[in-house]
Amino acid sequence: MSQLQETQQTWRSGFRLPAIILMAAFVLFAPAFVGSYSLHAVVIAMIFLLPALGLNLLVGYTGLLSLAQGAFFGVGAYASALLSIHFNTPFYINVVSAGLISGALALPLGIPALRLRATSFVMCTLGFIVIGQAISKNWISLTRGDMGLSSVPKPYFALGPWSFSVVSTAAYYYLALAVASLAILAFYLIVRSPAGRNMIAIRENETLAEAVGIPTWTYKLIVFVLSAVFAGVGGSLYVHYLTVVSPLTFQMYYTTTILIIVLGGGVGTISGVVFGSILFVALSEVLRVAPEIRMIAYGICLLLIVFKFPKGFAPVIDKVWLALGGQRA
Amino acid sequence: MTTPAILQIEHISKSYGAVKAVSDVSLQLQRGEILGLIGPNGSGKSTFFDCVTGLGMPDQGSVRLDGTVITGWPLNRIAREGRMLRSFQKTVVFSALDVEENLVIAGQMFVFESTRATFGIGKHAATIVEELRIRARELIKLTGLWDVRHMPAGKLSGGQQKLIQFASMLMPKPKVILLDEPMAGINPKLIEQVVEAIRYANTQLGISFLIIEHNIDVVISLCQRVIVLDQGQMLAHGTPQEIVINPLVREAYLGG
Repeated sequence: MSQLQETQQTWRSGFRLPAIILMAAFVLFAPAFVGSYSLHAVVIAMIFLLPALGLNLLVGYTGLLSLAQGAFFGVGAYASALLSIHFNTPFYINVVSAGLISGALALPLGIPALRLRATSFVMCTLGFIVIGQAISKNWISLTRGDMGLSSVPKPYFALGPWSFSVVSTAAYYYLALAVASLAILAFYLIVRSPAGRNMIAIRENETLAEAVGIPTWTYKLIVFVLSAVFAGVGGSLYVHYLTVVSPLTFQMYYTTTILIIVLGGGVGTISGVVFGSILFVALSEVLRVAPEIRMIAYGICLLLIVFKFPKGFAPVIDKVWLALGGQRA
Repeated sequence: MTTPAILQIEHISKSYGAVKAVSDVSLQLQRGEILGLIGPNGSGKSTFFDCVTGLGMPDQGSVRLDGTVITGWPLNRIAREGRMLRSFQKTVVFSALDVEENLVIAGQMFVFESTRATFGIGKHAATIVEELRIRARELIKLTGLWDVRHMPAGKLSGGQQKLIQFASMLMPKPKVILLDEPMAGINPKLIEQVVEAIRYANTQLGISFLIIEHNIDVVISLCQRVIVLDQGQMLAHGTPQEIVINPLVREAYLGG
């Protein structure tokens, strides 16, 4: 390596740490200089990151395509809303319960569904959304049907004499940031564990995975339940932010958004899904300036992305990262 | 007193609709033996393998492994609890993962006490994986894959993938290995290498083998006994020397 290249490398590798610090600072102080509307979009993005992480565990790591994420997101939202309205439970109990209830529901649904092969499994998960929508619309005594549930309380924390209510968008930003960070950490720990390696084995070749002793069905069921837990927590975060929930939550729109975040961001990666959630929610919000053609423009953007970045944005992020470290990508 | 066979297969039958793929095949694999299974294409060898290893369910018959009846167990349980492993006719590897990861995965389920334990994130799990990695590297050296150990397995040649598959099966110290055409599609030099690897595993590690193979020279040099299947039935059995001169076998399979 020539002297020039060497200096260039040390000079450039100095970019990685500042880039992290700059990004961390931006994330921490965003509410100070980002407009309230953009901040709202970022909060929504962070909320959608949760079901997206769950789906990533299914699609990206275990190789199972599920359309039920929107359904479990809705279950989490309704569970949280009902708990806080009827029992006046605090936020942290609602979030945990929403995750547990979604997960508990995924277990009996997953047992028959995972007996099915690829496409039949996808169709089956589609059925879960339809059922969710039907129940939320028609079990009026519980869900108030199409009217939905409203005035879900904003999160409220009390510790001894101190109490704090998360009302402003900026405050909710930090709450969502905290939950999203915990979710990323949990996701990271799952995929880095020996079980994460087994999931990848199942994605790569299920029969071979069986042949090396991996009980593939058990793993798929565990991952399906875990993905629902992620989605449920996301739904809880969502309903406490917007304070309303209606059967619209079970629309295909939510499931497709989650799917686009994962597939467009980069399956099987963490950074890709984080980037995907910001990008695709922001894109959807930005396009609100032209309501008549919003969904058409969104569709065209998606097509462009699919053709330009068939593997999502994860490879692009890797390249930038390598470049910052002074290596050629 | 003779020690009981490590693998006792009795009266296995399997039909697909009206087609009898395997009909009433019994065999015993003795401890430390290399047993050959030959026969024309479509004679039911692979179906028989599937029935024995849990990939398919036999219509009739029983499989006893080291004293335990394992008929009806799924493939993963036979591998994990029975320590009987198999290869596939069409070589398969975890394509996107490198050679070392392939081997680590192949060993994981044998060292963690439960599925739940594999979700462990503590030091305990890390130590177990590190031990697996050390063993994987030993086997990678042994099979001559050291230089390509960080390459995605799917990018390697068919012969190298065969070696990965074989090395993977040695990760958990199995009792029995069933090989489905280990020599298919690999060059003569590599055949030597694979034969040596099988011999090493047999004599040094005490693993018993049941091998489906079309390369008759390999069968003669490796196997102590040979069983011939034809149209789902056992046609003959004996030492390789007896088999090659058996007129029935010559007519049905070996030709001339």
